Amino acid sequence: MKRIALLSLASLFFAGSTFAQDDLLADLKSEDSAKIKENITIATFKSTRIINMQSVEMTGAGNLQFMIIHHFGSLWDDKEGGSNFGRLFGINSGVANTYMSFDYTPVRWLNLGIGFAGFSTLEGTAKFKILRQQSGVHNYPVSVVWVSQANFNSSKSFESPNDLYWNRLSYVHQLLIARKFSNKFSLQFIPSMIHRNIVAYGIENAHNIYSLGIGGRIKLREKTALTFEYSRQLNMYENVIDKTGEIVSYSPNLFSFGYDWDTGGHIFQFFLTNSLFATNVAQLSVNPVKDNIGQWSLGFNLNRSYSVKHKVKTQ
Amino acid sequence: MRKGQNHNTLKQLQVNLKNFTMKKILLVIILFFAAFAGLHAQTYKTRDGNIYFNPNKNQNNKEYSALSKEATAVLKVETSEVALLVPMKSFHFNNALLEEHFNENYLHTNKYPNGTYKGKLIGFDKAMLTKDGEYKISSEGRMELHGVTKDFKSPVLLTVKGGVATFKCDFPVKAADYNIEIPELVKPKLMESTPLNATISFKMN
Repeated sequence: MKRIALLSLASLFFAGSTFAQDDLLADLKSEDSAKIKENITIATFKSTRIINMQSVEMTGAGNLQFMIIHHFGSLWDDKEGGSNFGRLFGINSGVANTYMSFDYTPVRWLNLGIGFAGFSTLEGTAKFKILRQQSGVHNYPVSVVWVSQANFNSSKSFESPNDLYWNRLSYVHQLLIARKFSNKFSLQFIPSMIHRNIVAYGIENAHNIYSLGIGGRIKLREKTALTFEYSRQLNMYENVIDKTGEIVSYSPNLFSFGYDWDTGGHIFQFFLTNSLFATNVAQLSVNPVKDNIGQWSLGFNLNRSYSVKHKVKTQ
Repeated sequence: MRKGQNHNTLKQLQVNLKNFTMKKILLVIILFFAAFAGLHAQTYKTRDGNIYFNPNKNQNNKEYSALSKEATAVLKVETSEVALLVPMKSFHFNNALLEEHFNENYLHTNKYPNGTYKGKLIGFDKAMLTKDGEYKISSEGRMELHGVTKDFKSPVLLTVKGGVATFKCDFPVKAADYNIEIPELVKPKLMESTPLNATISFKMN
């Protein structure tokens, strides 16, 4: 009798398994083909900038992005005394640097941009996506992007010996390596190199300035996040002879703290940073030493993207 | 004594026989099930079904249009049963920012990776698959989206041509029904219920 019981149990199991095969959906779910082929990590950062520095994010393919970066005046000036409140901590000071840029992504891995950086300075940017963090068919733990910016100073007051045009150029090259560790936390490592075509004659002055940076994001809620970035200059920051022949020391550090807010159409990034400059070239090479936090400045990035080339075809 | 022994062996024989027949019956039942599953369950499968939608109020504006080409579907001819599964991350939008919002903020695709449908075709007959033409049928079942399962009913257009059976279905999805929160700032631009368009083709040979 035991045997019969066992057999009937077995038969029940068999019958059960044939019934289980009848559940078409469960069948589909268990198949590998039902899983997305390339699970590409998206939104490592909210914007194409962490704060001042470029992030691994790129404007979507076929999309045009318009971006405004604004650095207000210094937070607090001891000489100004009580009128600092009227200056609204630099926002109402009348001193500000504005950076305006357009960038377009013709193909998924390439982004080209032009920026207007103030003081007659123009900037061209090329961003190349080398690796996308993903799982599935391929397994890559990090996203890697190369970004190069060329800065052209067209200002009449720019001192250019023999008035050579290439004297007016300087460049930033950065390798961005980022990982989205979780939905809440992303980190990016940024080695940078700056090349200035012209520098004043001097012992410490260098055409190439190297720095190492790190940036990150901690998401607070779905549409808000805290961000930070820090970059350390490795050479040239002390006792440098500037263009007027004076000996100056620059700050080797670039610090910024920010708050990202995604409204659904625009992305706002509010920040506090120790640089008044709006361009990466200036921020990472000739950032003046700040004695106290009163000399830091508030600012914001604002961007909006439009789809120019439609890739989704209507049936 | 002897009689008793005989009786005992007979009983044992009976038990053995009973066991044997039970085994046989079970075997037959198992074989029957196996045969039934193998022979009669004619199923068709596809891995590249298309699902398209444009949530914009102005349907001529394709800024928000999205398309997935990775819907998996299965049709069981004998029982008219259908099932469909689409990985939510396979939807790609014209506007990349919207794609990010779709995944991160609206559909939470890390938590709910798939949209699924399981149901039956109503008015479907397997003879339709053997003759070219257009057939108006419908489907009824249950759809799961964003972790919410709801009853679903919609007309379906079946087109059979040259060994390919194409099921087309236009159906509305109301975001609120599936606990999908759209921010107030974006709401005025979007339709209250988004028209979706599914095109699923099965190659029959």
